[in-house]
Amino acid sequence: MSDTGDHAHSHAEHAHEHPDVEGPGYPTPAAMRTESEREKTAYVMAPRVGMEQQGPGFVGIVDVDPQSETYSELVDVVEMPNEGDELHHFGWNACSSSCHAEGLSRQYLVVPGQRSSRIHVIDVEDPRNPEMVKVIEPEEIFEHDLSAPHTVHCVPGGKVVISMLGNADGELPGGFLQLDQDDFTIDGHWEADRGEMEMNYDYWYQPRHDVMISTEWAAPNTYYPGFDLDDVEAGKYGDSIHIWDWESREHVQTLEFGEEGQIPLEVRMSHNPEETQGYVGAALSSNIIRFFEESDGTWDWEVAIDEEPREHEDWDMPVPPLITDIVLSLDDQYLFYSNWLHGDVRMYDVSDMGNPRLVDRIWAGGLFGDRQEVQGTEIRGAPQMLQLSRDGRRLYWTTSLFSTWDNQFYPEIAEEGSLMLKADVFPDEGRMELDEEFLVDFGDAPGGPARAHEIRWPGGDCTSDVWQ
Amino acid sequence: MGSSDPNPDPDLDSVSRSRTRDAHAVSLVWDDGREETIAVGRGETIVDAAEAAGLSVPYGCLYGACGTCTAQLLEGEVTHVEVPRGLKERARERGFVLACVATPESDCRLRVGHGIQAEVMGTPWK
Repeated sequence: MSDTGDHAHSHAEHAHEHPDVEGPGYPTPAAMRTESEREKTAYVMAPRVGMEQQGPGFVGIVDVDPQSETYSELVDVVEMPNEGDELHHFGWNACSSSCHAEGLSRQYLVVPGQRSSRIHVIDVEDPRNPEMVKVIEPEEIFEHDLSAPHTVHCVPGGKVVISMLGNADGELPGGFLQLDQDDFTIDGHWEADRGEMEMNYDYWYQPRHDVMISTEWAAPNTYYPGFDLDDVEAGKYGDSIHIWDWESREHVQTLEFGEEGQIPLEVRMSHNPEETQGYVGAALSSNIIRFFEESDGTWDWEVAIDEEPREHEDWDMPVPPLITDIVLSLDDQYLFYSNWLHGDVRMYDVSDMGNPRLVDRIWAGGLFGDRQEVQGTEIRGAPQMLQLSRDGRRLYWTTSLFSTWDNQFYPEIAEEGSLMLKADVFPDEGRMELDEEFLVDFGDAPGGPARAHEIRWPGGDCTSDVWQ
Repeated sequence: MGSSDPNPDPDLDSVSRSRTRDAHAVSLVWDDGREETIAVGRGETIVDAAEAAGLSVPYGCLYGACGTCTAQLLEGEVTHVEVPRGLKERARERGFVLACVATPESDCRLRVGHGIQAEVMGTPWK
């Protein structure tokens, strides 16, 4: 294991200042939305697992500054020291949840390998000159009977918490791994009592309401090798979300959706910390489910958006849309989500969260997209991981889901890599347009084609920060 | 098999010594027709031996959970040194193995490549 170098606590890009206390984020979601600059750099997870030409994955640095000569290009990569990691989701050492923690800065990216269970720490104090400073090897993770790291959130109290989808054998149960924010040493499990929770995937938390919400994919040894409907029939995929007491770290309630919420993956609560509601995208049943706190402190749910499978002439059975990512604008006015099999990204007015209103959609790739290329390049895959600019005016996405699942549904990604695309969003008009000038082809990555997955900005984004 | 070498070469590590003593010849076959033969020592995994020989084969977790390294046994015999949890029973019955936890029990031929995992799983709804 290499160790972290000296901790320079200078401010990262876009950090703000209070009159008396400095911290790594913004005091409110509106402050982040209105006072931050336009994003100039994107970090993009780029795994090379299961490619025709396998190699180490990398974190790609993409120039998203339109004033730059290298706009819309992959300008640098931080290559991982090993192959097989499957870089997937990642997060920060600190965010707006530690807004008033003096001396702390948003400086380190915590970059897990979903398949390898290896965790990397990258210093991005200089956003365009990142440096790998620590690698936690899989054996150290397995010692805590955990594997398959997924969602990374910094949390108040100087910690980083990572959802872990399996035990040391890649079976159930999963749990949560807690790291120390200062030196990234492993504290152990975050949870004090996981109750009946077995499956894990994404999580969101809101300390003001003493709640954490976690979702379900499946056991790693179920979803790792690829998607099999027999496993759904056998009950091996999730259909529930879990409510936790944030302070006591105990599981307190399970919301079981059944067939109305199969494979609930990405979870987003309102950014407004006063709110006690959020959405989860159920991938397989292709529903958006709203969960909310009742007056007695228990939680309930309802289907807010219900999509239907669609017949395709080349497929034997109707194909579900497969909602694989969702993102809420920082003002909680718009919800965007991707239908990775159908091939569209949708924009909903959610100013009344219980009654979402579809306002626009873009078709790009997928099984039904009427647009199958951009700038003459075939769209390999379909809208998948989304990231919205802080001001809500630009939506970016990548087209790869997960190596083994890509290889079943969009095998061309394994040979030619996936893409990053962008739409301009007009929130005042409730519409968006594909920006045909923007295209990052990870098929041209140095060292060979790569997949492209989660996107983050230096300075925080719509899925990284929580306000207390 | 199993008799100790009276004059082990001190310059060879234990895996290399076992490779020279107990190694099996494993031929890796790609769908494009390429074929490479490597020596795989007793207890050594096929992925480790391929890496040591400078050959790129797909792999992910390295403990038999993820199926990225799924290969098809064409001739010979292998055993898994860890439970191949990422391999369906129906695939095992059809001669598929996980190369990251498989070691040869005889000389053998294996079909390898990134597409075998998806071939084994098929495409739902299609």
